[in-house]
Amino acid sequence: MPIRAKEGRATKWLIEGDDVLRRSLMKRTEKKKDIQKERVHDQPLKTTIEANISDLKQILGDPDDLVVRYFTVGDKEHAAAIVYINGLIDTALVQNNILENLQTKTLELKEKEAVTLFDQLYREFISVADTEKSSTMEKVLSTLLSGGTVFYLDGISEILVLNTAGGENRSIEEPVSESLIRGPRAGFIEDIGTNAAMIRREIHDPSLRMKTHQIGERSKKTLAVFYIDGVIHPEILAEMNRRLDSINIDSAIDSGYVEEWIEDSFLSPFPQIINTERPDKSAAAILQGKAVILVDGSPFALIAPIALGNVLQSPEDYYERWMIGSFIRLLRYLGAFFSLFLPGLYIALVSYHQDLIPSELAFSIAATREGVPFPVVVEAALMVITMEFLREAGARLPQTIGQTIGIVGGLVIGDAAVQAGIVSPIMVIVIALTAIATFSIPLYSVAIAFRLIRFAIMIGAAIFGLYGIVLVYIMVNIHIVNLKSFGIPYSTPFAPTFKHDWKDLVIRAPLTTLVKRPSFLQTKDQRRGEKA
Amino acid sequence: MKSFKYGDEKITDKEILIAVPSMIIGVGVLSLPKQITETTTAADGWISILAAGLFTMVMIWLTGKLAASFPNQPFITYTSTLVSRPVAMFLSFSYGVIGICLAALIMRTLTNIAKQYLFTQTPSEMIALAFLLVVVYAVAGSRAGLFRLNMMFFPIIFFITFMVLLFNMRWADPNNFLPVFQSDIRGYLNAATDSVMAYMGATIFLFYVFLVKQPEKTPKMLALGMGFPIAFYLIVFFLCLTVFGNVATSNMVYPVIELAKRVEITGGILERIESLFFVVWIMAVFNSTALAIDTSLLALQPLFKKVSKEKILFTISPIIFFIGMFPEDFKELQDFQSIFGIIATAYSYIMVIVLFIIMKVRGVGGSG
Repeated sequence: MPIRAKEGRATKWLIEGDDVLRRSLMKRTEKKKDIQKERVHDQPLKTTIEANISDLKQILGDPDDLVVRYFTVGDKEHAAAIVYINGLIDTALVQNNILENLQTKTLELKEKEAVTLFDQLYREFISVADTEKSSTMEKVLSTLLSGGTVFYLDGISEILVLNTAGGENRSIEEPVSESLIRGPRAGFIEDIGTNAAMIRREIHDPSLRMKTHQIGERSKKTLAVFYIDGVIHPEILAEMNRRLDSINIDSAIDSGYVEEWIEDSFLSPFPQIINTERPDKSAAAILQGKAVILVDGSPFALIAPIALGNVLQSPEDYYERWMIGSFIRLLRYLGAFFSLFLPGLYIALVSYHQDLIPSELAFSIAATREGVPFPVVVEAALMVITMEFLREAGARLPQTIGQTIGIVGGLVIGDAAVQAGIVSPIMVIVIALTAIATFSIPLYSVAIAFRLIRFAIMIGAAIFGLYGIVLVYIMVNIHIVNLKSFGIPYSTPFAPTFKHDWKDLVIRAPLTTLVKRPSFLQTKDQRRGEKA
Repeated sequence: MKSFKYGDEKITDKEILIAVPSMIIGVGVLSLPKQITETTTAADGWISILAAGLFTMVMIWLTGKLAASFPNQPFITYTSTLVSRPVAMFLSFSYGVIGICLAALIMRTLTNIAKQYLFTQTPSEMIALAFLLVVVYAVAGSRAGLFRLNMMFFPIIFFITFMVLLFNMRWADPNNFLPVFQSDIRGYLNAATDSVMAYMGATIFLFYVFLVKQPEKTPKMLALGMGFPIAFYLIVFFLCLTVFGNVATSNMVYPVIELAKRVEITGGILERIESLFFVVWIMAVFNSTALAIDTSLLALQPLFKKVSKEKILFTISPIIFFIGMFPEDFKELQDFQSIFGIIATAYSYIMVIVLFIIMKVRGVGGSG
């Protein structure tokens, strides 16, 4: 169904961003939900094992990795079965704590009635911590598919679902995308249980809350929101839960799916939620009054709400001494400036405002450009796109070959291009400097956004010179002041101004002076340290 | 516990404080020293600038006082209480027209300067259109966003201006001050009229005070904010005068940009920074234009209740463009500027005074 064309939709987009679009999408998904409800397997279970198992096999299509183990319990030899999917469970747990107990220790049981026997088994014989009774097919399915084991007893329509999820996990390693020189070395892995534990290990506060949601229509995935009750602003939390409940997708393969569903504006190049592989960074965000979202199967946690200042911060700013932290942060701001403006400025200066360049420099630029057949815009576009290719190729290839690409691409092609007279050496310097500056931005998703804006600035510079650059710059600012992250203006704490937050914005003041949590988050407990 | 409210459409006193210089400082000041020195001798013009500034400060305080007496009421509502609904509608409509003309005027002046200092080849229409589109994009966004833009651009504008002024200090020749008090009264008056027009835009806050949640301190903030342009105009005037001298200043079209031209940063990457200064100045001009257009939106919206904000905006922006492109050359633009300036400023100040008197006589309005 196409999105309903509304009168003045195009203009609405400008104003409320994509809220209109989002709403119409939601309307669409609500309808879909109604249809799906009818398909859900919520019929009650039958009383015989045979009937139940054949129903189950029919729904699942009798997969080969579905293990059904029949056995008998008790003196009266009641038929029973456990069902699980091979590979998803912790085999040792199922063998030692379920099967062995049920087969050997129940021999003495004289119970005749299935109902009371079932109850006794639940209370005394099944030694799995996370066990509950249930009686719907839906529960059976969700348990099996998420690595649980289901216990059937003949003659009763109730079952036990046992959480026996296991299987292989990657071990905890140093995060690849955010390596630090100083700071904890641990990074999140794909398993949400381990990740949650890593956050809990950082924050021992009894007010630390973990609220789970199940998302995905076809594949239910666990998603957990972490926050500190009494610190986070309740409206932010309510809004976050509302948005998480509105997610309607088949499955969240990675936290990126969740991010795109719950962010404020998907028409913006700027991330309104930042992702991190680092438990320490997540914990610091939670302590500031933000919320952290973990999605099962993704090593990237989501941090929200954020503001513009956050995108250029790195945990290391806080681990090194404050002067060094501040210096590095200033350097990063400079890097961001170069990354955005350098190619655009070069284009504007060389093709429109040669008079601004000091005469000696102007001569040397003119000398190097001699024989270059293209206008400077084409030259720059050529180099920037080559740079993007190199970057993408380097990231995709195995690490050892990736380095070769860097050398072949960067050095050989760059040098050959200059020798062939296609580009000027100064252009190579400009582009290389831009690329290096981009690498100084700590978050990959922010660096991508900057790359996009750099193109816009280059186009502006090509059409209008410096005038074009400033117009694009103003447009980016307009976009930023209208952008929000969970209701918090993206441009804060610059505007709306929170002076206290400036201590931890462009510079990082000594920790001893950062006595308050960021004011822009409007936390309930405003002071760090002592408890209210 | 403070509730989570700063993200909504309200504006704070701090934003009002910055909005005043953002509105007033625009293209006017770039040619102000020229206009002043045309009618006064030596540095005498500063008296006119100061007097006009103080006058505007009083007016902006009255504006704030008037609007703040009716907290959280838009212009049309409280003027209806004061002078009946039809008159209020007329006043509102006239403000809509003033806003449109003001925006057109600023846009055209900017275009002319850009043509003079940045590119001579590009047609004026393209320069103006690009600028206007960016402004429309800003006005189409949230109103609080405009004030946030003011806050974000203000430090940049302040910094570049400060640098230009600082680097010009060494050329300043105090002898250019002399002789003092040689101008005649007519000269002072002419200069003062020009200055009042350079401070144009003070009364737009009639429309904005209702966005302030608790406007008790707003009149004070407005008057305080007025201090920035006064100080800025005075400093700029003194520098132009001491650097260039009276006669030279009166012969330049935009003496302030010429100031930037003289800056030489030794070992710098840029040789002449007047283009750079002007480019940053576009941000200041942008702020003024955006607020002017937004004012006319605020003024026109209550008159056409069924029409959405965007529709009004998309109707008036072509009008702004055509009015702006109407003057054929620099001479016609100047005529347009002076006629419109006198009518608009006189009209709006008289209106504020009359409304204020009516409010006091009838004793309506809150405690302010």
